[in-house]
Amino acid sequence: MTTTLTRAAARALHATKSYGEGETAVVALDDVTVELESARFTAIMGPSGSGKSTLLHCLAGLDTLTSGHIFLGATDLGELTDRQLTLLRRTQVGFVFQSFNLVPTLTALENIRLPLTLAGTKPDADWLEAVVETVGLTDRLRHRPSELSGGQQQRVAVARALASKPAIIFADEPTGNLDSRSSADVLGFLQRARLELDQTIVMVTHDPVAASYADRAIFLADGHIVDAVEEPTPELVLDHMKRLGA
Amino acid sequence: MRSVAFSEMWSHKRRLLGSMIAVVLGVAFLSGTLLLGDTLKANFDKLFTTANGSTDVILRGSTQIGSGNNQARSGVDASLATLARQTPGVADAQPYVQGDAQLVGGNGKRVGGSGPPTTAANWVSVPSLNPYRIVDGHAPRADDEVVINRGAAKAGKLHLGDTTTLLTPAPVRVHIVGIATFGTADGLGTGTFTAMTLPAAQRYLTNNPAKVSQILIKTAPGVERGTVIAALQPRLPAGVQAITGQDLANENIDNIDKGFLGFLRNGLTGFAVVALLVAVFSIYNTFSILSAQRTRASALLRALGATRRQVVGVGLAEALAVGVLGAAAGWGAGIGIATGLKGIFHAFGFPLPTGGLEFKLGSGLLAIFAGIAATLAAGVVPAIRSSRVAPVAALRDQAAERRTVSARRGVAGAVLTAGGVAALVVAGLGQGPMAVAGIGALLSLVGMVVLGPVAARPVTSVLGAPIARLRGVTGLLARENSLRNPRRTAATASALLIGVAVVAMFTVVAASLKKSASQGIDRALTADVIVDTPGYGGAVSAQSGKLDPAMQQRLSTVDGVAVATALSGGEALIGGKSHNITAADPSRVGQVIDLGVTSGSIASMTPTSLAVSKDAAKSNHWHVGSTAPITYPDGSTGAVTVAAIYSHPDITGDYVLNLTGWTSHTEQAVISKIMVNLRPGVDVAAAESAIKAAMAQYGQPRVQDKAEYRSSATKGVNTILGLVYVMLALAIIIALMGISNTLSLSIHERTRELGLLRAVGQTRAQTRAMVRWESVLVAVFGTIGGVGIGTLLGWSIVKAASSTTLSAFAAPPLQLVVFVVVGAVAGTLAGIRPARRAARLNVLAAIGTE
Repeated sequence: MTTTLTRAAARALHATKSYGEGETAVVALDDVTVELESARFTAIMGPSGSGKSTLLHCLAGLDTLTSGHIFLGATDLGELTDRQLTLLRRTQVGFVFQSFNLVPTLTALENIRLPLTLAGTKPDADWLEAVVETVGLTDRLRHRPSELSGGQQQRVAVARALASKPAIIFADEPTGNLDSRSSADVLGFLQRARLELDQTIVMVTHDPVAASYADRAIFLADGHIVDAVEEPTPELVLDHMKRLGA
Repeated sequence: MRSVAFSEMWSHKRRLLGSMIAVVLGVAFLSGTLLLGDTLKANFDKLFTTANGSTDVILRGSTQIGSGNNQARSGVDASLATLARQTPGVADAQPYVQGDAQLVGGNGKRVGGSGPPTTAANWVSVPSLNPYRIVDGHAPRADDEVVINRGAAKAGKLHLGDTTTLLTPAPVRVHIVGIATFGTADGLGTGTFTAMTLPAAQRYLTNNPAKVSQILIKTAPGVERGTVIAALQPRLPAGVQAITGQDLANENIDNIDKGFLGFLRNGLTGFAVVALLVAVFSIYNTFSILSAQRTRASALLRALGATRRQVVGVGLAEALAVGVLGAAAGWGAGIGIATGLKGIFHAFGFPLPTGGLEFKLGSGLLAIFAGIAATLAAGVVPAIRSSRVAPVAALRDQAAERRTVSARRGVAGAVLTAGGVAALVVAGLGQGPMAVAGIGALLSLVGMVVLGPVAARPVTSVLGAPIARLRGVTGLLARENSLRNPRRTAATASALLIGVAVVAMFTVVAASLKKSASQGIDRALTADVIVDTPGYGGAVSAQSGKLDPAMQQRLSTVDGVAVATALSGGEALIGGKSHNITAADPSRVGQVIDLGVTSGSIASMTPTSLAVSKDAAKSNHWHVGSTAPITYPDGSTGAVTVAAIYSHPDITGDYVLNLTGWTSHTEQAVISKIMVNLRPGVDVAAAESAIKAAMAQYGQPRVQDKAEYRSSATKGVNTILGLVYVMLALAIIIALMGISNTLSLSIHERTRELGLLRAVGQTRAQTRAMVRWESVLVAVFGTIGGVGIGTLLGWSIVKAASSTTLSAFAAPPLQLVVFVVVGAVAGTLAGIRPARRAARLNVLAAIGTE
């Protein structure tokens, strides 16, 4: 138990989230307990309405639970104020959303540095260089988001998430709006971040191919964790998905 | 289509409310000023009708000197009363002697006098010939008995039975034996009235006991006034005319309407138009943003088969609804504004007659119509623009507002601005004409507004640089946000630009007026101490004055005084035209005033000599030795010869007469100022207190040294400027609300972006700061533009006017910098509400918003 505690980057303990009250109440998460290990790339999968995005939002401190606990490292998110949560997001958490990841008025480089500059901390120059190099967009760093392709934008978003050396990166359908080539690009980048930089990554997706880049896939249905696969391949994931649907 | 328009409006109601407030404020100011004008007019009508309307016929001198409220008339022979009584149809005729006299109040100070008239006359015992009614005590029976009006009694804390001094202007001890009301009011406005016996009035109020001011006539029952006038006419000597009291009242009403009231009304309406213009910009901006935000809805309507005309209709219906509701609410709020304005004028030392508000249908409709028209005008361009959306835009992800700025706009704006500035510079350098300056002002303002979007990007970029550097990414984001839509930034700032330009212009003109007055006093005034009475609002007194000529003798005997010489003045017809004149003692005036004589000599002036300024000499084609016909206030005529031409008209004005000659032709012996020179080495402060002590018995006139005199000479300018600032404050407030409203709408557009920023770690405080800084940038952009163009306008006006009162130009740098700082602070305030809104956004909901 003690070993897993230290290895877990984030944990949900009896996490329940319901919307609305009484008869119209919808339970998005129903007593979910899960551990997301450090330095691993975990995919959260499930059909629409399974609660996977809600789980991600709660783990990231963007949303609050109805009951239960979320721990990021050793911190219980339920005990933090809004300001503390914001500061935690800034320093401990990286985000990649499905779309609209970048501030349109800032250049790619400014977007990458954004969490650091918001915190008023000097970016670690070597680290930033390493990140930027990994993004492979060195020649486009002075461009605004509107001048980048969708795939490039998402890679900048991943770089932004990496820039502050967060304990954990949450990605919510990062390839949902991309064609297959750009998707492979972004997912490959995430995988390299995990392999070369030991970055903990949690990604919500419904695409079996995307999930195959992860070290582990967990499956949600109707607010419950129903399954998990180690070293997923697209076929293996599809198999599990079919069983869920059946 | 109507239901579409309605549901569109309903869904935007909060955003529309912001633009409606601009309409409400603009219309409120306009209707408030119109209401105040109507009310004042009604009050003055009532006052003058009460004063003269019930008098059937009046005999008065037919020579009029001066015009409007300053006019004076010569008197008529007292014996005409007898002649009138013998005329058929006349029931009674009373001589009426009227003059100026100030009561000394319970505290030893003069009652009233800084503006409203301080009238004294004989008590007329025929009720229909006298608007005053005794409510306490009795009519004067002895020559030292007076009746005073209730307003004066209240203001001076005087009571029935009190003994006090009446300055006629020679001090006279009087017993108050009666308190009177003017009709049912306390007085004729805030003016004071003192009534005495006819012999006393003839002794104290006129130089010539054989003359009276008017003969008041009561007609016999059933006799037409016209009949009496016709009967009187052939019997009257030359120079005397008969008119009905009602005609006299109408004449007075007409005079105040053309003079004071007209001035007030035009000024107030001018400020109301500025406020409304600023409101139009704010409304235009809101509608533009709204029409951009519903591009997809408009496109969908078009895709579903709505004609362009129908889409325009939706937009215009919205403008109409905002206009109608806003204008109606504005009219209501105008009642409050009218009451507030009255209070403001009172606070600034310009008391206006009291009385209920006078509602006129025409004025109300005018204000409401102006509000609706302004709103529709502001809404028409955005409505047309939204109709131009291609139906296919409904399918596209986001068809935003046009953000680019056309080259044509840049060229047009640059040409207009350059033309305007050139006209201003030409007017300024060439010293006139004023019309060129006016055209330049209009052109450059329009040009600046057209050029705004072009200038917005570079200017806010530069202005925002320090913020971006000092405030880190929050400042950088604020700057970038203000740059992202230069049209919107410029339109928002334009409203403020116009308001601030007017403020800056008035500030520069006022500072120049003060500098001109100060310089004028510095070069012309050589006296050490000046004794006078305060004029309107505490300013330097009018030329006619209210001081006793005997004071000069008394002052000459005060320790330390080397010279004491009196100035008097008033109006006279010289060369057929009314002019303000100053009367001075030629042998001594040179010791207290440096007139800068260029030809002839002041000392050589005889009682029929005239000295004129260079400007007056030039415009009349006079030189030393020229003669001109003159008509004095007492009606006598003669000729004056130009004895000197001078170049410093700063204290005396353009016409100087010999005091001896002047005094022999005035109705009442008064002087306006006494200028004192002290012996060398005498301490000014000590001399001032000695002079004050000696003057106490004359109703404590004002005693000032040179510096104090200079500051009271500019005090009037400060007072007016203060009033102007208050009037313009509303326009500025409307402009700031426009900034606030635009930012709120922008925040609404940027919901997802704000959600993202919050998600990646922007604190609420940083979000607020970001929005506030954007607000500050827009406000400072508008303020700097306004200060710049306003200063140029002021410079051009000052230079083009180039008169004695506006001979120097001054742009107070500190004050202008303060405007920019105030603009920045106001921008922060305007940003509070949108900033709070931005910080309150729910992060998840913001990210989820499509």
